[in-house]
Amino acid sequence: MPQARKVALVSGGSRGLGAQLVSGFLDRHYRVATLSRTKTTFITKMLRARKGQHFHWGAVDGRDHEALRAFVKDVGDRLGRIDVLVNNAGIAMEGILPTMRTRDIVEAVEVNLTAALVLAQACSRFMLRQGSGCIVNISSVHAIRGHSGVAVYSATKAALVSDMAEEQKRRIARRTPLGRLARIDEVANAVHFLTSDQASFITGQTLVVDGGITC
Amino acid sequence: MLTAPTLAQIESIVHGRIRAVLAERVGEVARLSGTDKLSATLGLSSLDLAFVVAELEAELGVDPFAKLVSITSVRSVGDLVRAYQQALFPELQRGGDEHAVAAAVKRAQTRRTRRKRR
Repeated sequence: MPQARKVALVSGGSRGLGAQLVSGFLDRHYRVATLSRTKTTFITKMLRARKGQHFHWGAVDGRDHEALRAFVKDVGDRLGRIDVLVNNAGIAMEGILPTMRTRDIVEAVEVNLTAALVLAQACSRFMLRQGSGCIVNISSVHAIRGHSGVAVYSATKAALVSDMAEEQKRRIARRTPLGRLARIDEVANAVHFLTSDQASFITGQTLVVDGGITC
Repeated sequence: MLTAPTLAQIESIVHGRIRAVLAERVGEVARLSGTDKLSATLGLSSLDLAFVVAELEAELGVDPFAKLVSITSVRSVGDLVRAYQQALFPELQRGGDEHAVAAAVKRAQTRRTRRKRR
């Protein structure tokens, strides 16, 4: 029943949490589309293994709004529907605000925030027409608690902890009651729960998966 | 649509999509007027309007609200029809501007004439 499979679109699915989510949705019998700037070994492996079956990848720069919209339209037209959007793509931007280049601030906002809104808007058109849909935005503990050197990153409320400097990671781990950073699968499991039928009455919520650091 | 629709066909398609939403909300509506207010007269919510826009984008292949028109300027059925007509026939947009400029020039001339008379 291949046409009955739901469709998940994951931004930034070429590595890290995004790659884990792509694999997780495929394991759960979704058809999966993902976009990233570059083709990683994970993407190459998936394209070869799937041979176009249930997996679609596009080379898209998050700063290119028209390309983002075109990718969503292509996915929707090609697969007939979009059931899940996970806004996972993001870039880390470290450095204190007074000495940061303006173009780096603009890039962080473009990729971490504007791209997520553009993707949500484009996907919502398909979700409105089919009468259902689920959008999950991957954020960061920095969206809730301020830390030095991540002002812009915190403002955009996105990206992956794994992209941060070792010093930042150690500092976060020290402050976390569970004494460590989250594993990728621990975050991915929360996304799979939110997009599952078991979470059908959950909407508009923020689920914090942080080992207790923001409690 | 395989061929470009006419202005009348665009109006008919837009009316059809609005009537389809109204049929689900309040029952069949026999006829729509261009002056009917989408919210005040017909009772459409912003989400209803977004649904209509999504359906029309799929059918007509254009989204006037991506760049051309602000959705907040659309109050009536006629406004919505014109947005799609202008998106599919850009010369209407230019024609509309020229008309507006000509009207403004005429108003300015009238004001100048009045001042001279005083």
